[in-house]
Amino acid sequence: MDTFSLLLDGLLVAAQPGNLGFALLGVLLGTAVGVLPGLGPALTVALLLPVSLSFGATGSMIMFAGIYYGGMYGGAISSILLNTPGETASIMTALEGNKMAKDGRGGKALGAAAIGSFFGGTCATIGLAIIAPLMVKVALAFGPAEYFALMVLSFLTVSAAFGGSLMRGLTALFIGLSIGLVGIDRLTGQARLSFGVPELRDNISIATVAVGLFAIGETLYIASQSSTMNEKMQAVKGSVWLTLGELKRCLKPFLRGTGLGFMFGPLPTGGAEIPTFLSYSAERRTAKGIAREEFDSGKGAIEGVAGPEAANNASAAGTLIPLLTLGLPTSATAAVMLAGFQQYGLQPGPLLFTSNSELVWGLIASLFIANLMLVVINLPFVGVWVRLLTIPKPWLYAGIMTFAALGIIGAQGTPFSLILLLVFGLVGFVMRRFDYPLAPVLVGAILGPLAEEQLRRGLMINQGDFSFLVTSWIALTIYAIAVAAVAGPLLWSRFSKRGIEASKALHEH
Amino acid sequence: MATHEDKGAGASRPDGSSRATDIGGLGIALGLFVFAALIAWDASSYPERRSYAQIGPEIFPYIVGAGIAIFGVLTIVMARRGDFPEREALNFAPVLWLLAALGGMTALLYAGSGFIIASSVLFGLAARGFGRKPVWLTFLVGLLLNCMLYVLFRQGLGLSLPGGLIEPYINVLFR
Repeated sequence: MDTFSLLLDGLLVAAQPGNLGFALLGVLLGTAVGVLPGLGPALTVALLLPVSLSFGATGSMIMFAGIYYGGMYGGAISSILLNTPGETASIMTALEGNKMAKDGRGGKALGAAAIGSFFGGTCATIGLAIIAPLMVKVALAFGPAEYFALMVLSFLTVSAAFGGSLMRGLTALFIGLSIGLVGIDRLTGQARLSFGVPELRDNISIATVAVGLFAIGETLYIASQSSTMNEKMQAVKGSVWLTLGELKRCLKPFLRGTGLGFMFGPLPTGGAEIPTFLSYSAERRTAKGIAREEFDSGKGAIEGVAGPEAANNASAAGTLIPLLTLGLPTSATAAVMLAGFQQYGLQPGPLLFTSNSELVWGLIASLFIANLMLVVINLPFVGVWVRLLTIPKPWLYAGIMTFAALGIIGAQGTPFSLILLLVFGLVGFVMRRFDYPLAPVLVGAILGPLAEEQLRRGLMINQGDFSFLVTSWIALTIYAIAVAAVAGPLLWSRFSKRGIEASKALHEH
Repeated sequence: MATHEDKGAGASRPDGSSRATDIGGLGIALGLFVFAALIAWDASSYPERRSYAQIGPEIFPYIVGAGIAIFGVLTIVMARRGDFPEREALNFAPVLWLLAALGGMTALLYAGSGFIIASSVLFGLAARGFGRKPVWLTFLVGLLLNCMLYVLFRQGLGLSLPGGLIEPYINVLFR
């Protein structure tokens, strides 16, 4: 009941015209960027970080969440019509979706994707609204020792989950930690890693790091690739509206996909890749009748689109649970959103629910609205989005670079920030080329200084006695989870390997 | 996509010698060592302090620096074992264009050209890097775009963008 009234209050916040506008802007931008191959929601949120400073905390968070959801929708469009998944979450959608498009049923695939996304997103957002307050109750008992443990958990899980290799993940984390060191030490006033440069004494802005790594690094990477995608784009054929019979076929995949996505979203296993893969293989394994024939004959089965699409949107909602209640990002986009909170001096965690309850519940409520908006702008207007795919690459990427530079120079005001942007762009490029995950860098840069402060404050209170770190059962439990979270992905690597093989199979068609 | 496969095989690590040392990986390791040394050198220069905490501002830098050095060693191991994923041949020219684009914009801003001209150079060179010619055309497109962006973000959203040669005239128009 309590949750329900908070959610109603949130709806009032979300329904304010300004916030509705931010939600609409977010879903439009998210879909647009999701459609474009190679550009994911993490990059979009990063690009908008500096610009959004003038939007206010609630408005920009609502917009960012809209981008996250919209990116998941948009990714389906390019997967189905172009066979080039916009981001990893849509790889499985491309498998059956593109076959359906080649069979002249692209419209149906798009329809199943949009409704699946809506279903998965909405159900999982309800789950988020129910579970988040429960998590907050647990987390309110946390002290410095528990927070330090939580940050260790966060460090280990992002490093282990993103990308294939724990070693590369941890290297990325330590690069992030070193970025967090730059500037004046909060406790003693000592300038660290500043080398006499005044701009460095004021800490490096997380937005510069995020934009450099994600936008500039990714653009450099795309420019450096000599092979170009030359998949033929399929025209949208057939109605996007599903018949009752088709909806019936999709219902079970929707339910299974939503369950998988919501379960895996909050876990530090790297976002939507694993749940979409599991959903696809479940549909393929259990298919009967017409579906069986369509899976086997390569005509493309609607179940294979419906399940993974429900799963990827459900996982986006699931990701928000640990992000909002504990400040733990479990996907790259969540890591960039964490940078967004930080930009406003907000630290996601249990306290956020009491100190900024309007923002949190407004954000959750706006997710429902964003989902509704997405179905409306996706089903009838799919043709408009498709046209985005015809923007020539030079203009598109030059525009992205320009926008990145504009945001940074506008927020920081000094040309020195562009030098930093270039440096982080180069770092991001090398990391991308050598398959290092980027999210741990951000998490290290954001949480590193907080972890150091908690540890040093705790030590001061306890007069230099380190044992305070391990005397609490909650802290010990968190450490145990951290160990399990590092060991867990190793078990899952079997699955992700199969996922990679499946994505490779895409290129052979 | 056969062409894709061909180019993949022509990358820095050909199929037959997958156990050959990855030079790029060694380069990363070298970078990590230099960075670790830099952090340690910086931390060693802090004045000594006494406090109840017993750990001063230099402890975390030492830990981070040591961590980076350790991962540098592990990177060498990975490079020698060929653990890095296969890469396509690096296309240098576009990357250089993009670097020149960002570098050019930075230099122009330091020189006081203002946002619009600097950012148009960025746009023009970046579009050229992605294969769009000639440069004067891409620059002009950039100029048009950046004038619009300037009005939108400076006048509309109140973002402070550095002024220079063109900006004062636009500001007058919107006064």
